[in-house]
Amino acid sequence: MAENKIAIVSKGLFKENPVFILMLGLCPTLGVTTQVINALGMGVGVIFVLVFSNIFVSLLKNIIPPSVRIPSYIVIIAAFVTIVEMVMHAYAPSIYQSLGIFLPLIVVNCIILGRAEAFANKNTIVDSFLDAIGMGLGFTVAIILIALIREVFGSGTITLFAMGGFDGVIKIPLLYTYPVRIFTLAAGALLLMGYLKGFFEWFSKRKRG
Amino acid sequence: MKKMIITGITLALIAAVAATALALINSVTAPKIAEYEAQVVINTLTEVASGYEIKDKIEVSDDISVKAYYPIHKEEVLEGYILSLVGNGYGGTFSLMASYLLDGSVIDARMLNNSETPGLGKKAEKAEYMDKFKETGSKDTPVPTKKGQLEADEADSIGGSTITFSAVGKTIETGSVYVAQKGGK
Repeated sequence: MAENKIAIVSKGLFKENPVFILMLGLCPTLGVTTQVINALGMGVGVIFVLVFSNIFVSLLKNIIPPSVRIPSYIVIIAAFVTIVEMVMHAYAPSIYQSLGIFLPLIVVNCIILGRAEAFANKNTIVDSFLDAIGMGLGFTVAIILIALIREVFGSGTITLFAMGGFDGVIKIPLLYTYPVRIFTLAAGALLLMGYLKGFFEWFSKRKRG
Repeated sequence: MKKMIITGITLALIAAVAATALALINSVTAPKIAEYEAQVVINTLTEVASGYEIKDKIEVSDDISVKAYYPIHKEEVLEGYILSLVGNGYGGTFSLMASYLLDGSVIDARMLNNSETPGLGKKAEKAEYMDKFKETGSKDTPVPTKKGQLEADEADSIGGSTITFSAVGKTIETGSVYVAQKGGK
């Protein structure tokens, strides 16, 4: 029983990673990963929306008529995305500014609607919550990994939260002076995504034997 | 018929609950957002004023790009204006503030609200991005609106966001013409 619950969470991290295996949510994955802090903000936003939309879809699955289930899911998802937008604008304005158009676009992120349709409307609230945590973490880890590689090589920095005397930017010697600019551009994001996808495919096949 | 009514009521109820929840969250966050936006305007005005004294805001209703202006003085003498401008970028409309001397030459500028692409057009939010527009706008040095008008190292800093750069340049240029036409009045 407990093993089953752990499997629901862990599948999102590797076996069914939404970015590298299912290839979902690629627009924000490629768009916001120029800085680690943007990836972190987007990841937190997606986890929040995914958890609450999964819980509510699971809760209302027997009430929502099948003919209007997709519009109902969109209303639920859009409501939680708007909440994230308002809260970020009020309490984390710099991340809100950095994420720009990608924040409201969480509404059409395939991971959110995909999990509502494929998992939450067929499973219990607890399982839907665990699925959301696993998928959300899988997405967050994936975009942080991409952002880390792109920012380190493309800008020679790692941008985190500013705290006290620390301005939030770690400068990498040599790479800061001579960055590999292509990593910050769209072409670099696609190249990196391709290599990471290739690595995950190779690793999955090797694991399966 | 009955099925359709039940379906409609269910969807309406979900929408009503969502709207109520959003109204509640909005009532908590709206004052905080308004406070933050006001602080951003104050900070931006101070930055672009470059030491000049800022006078009261004057609203403009008969111009597409210029929404308001603030006269800037030095020792009680009118030296120029800070303009609140609206432009059209890659991701939609954006607002920026730019300060000018009376002949229309640019003192400084800052990008405010925008929907430009993170990592590309969003670079326009940085103060150093606006360095390429400083001291332009006079008869001899026009405001750059194309990447080709920049030095090689400046052009590199724009990267792939040429539409944003062109939009910012054209908006600043519009402000420059507006100020020059005012002629210190």
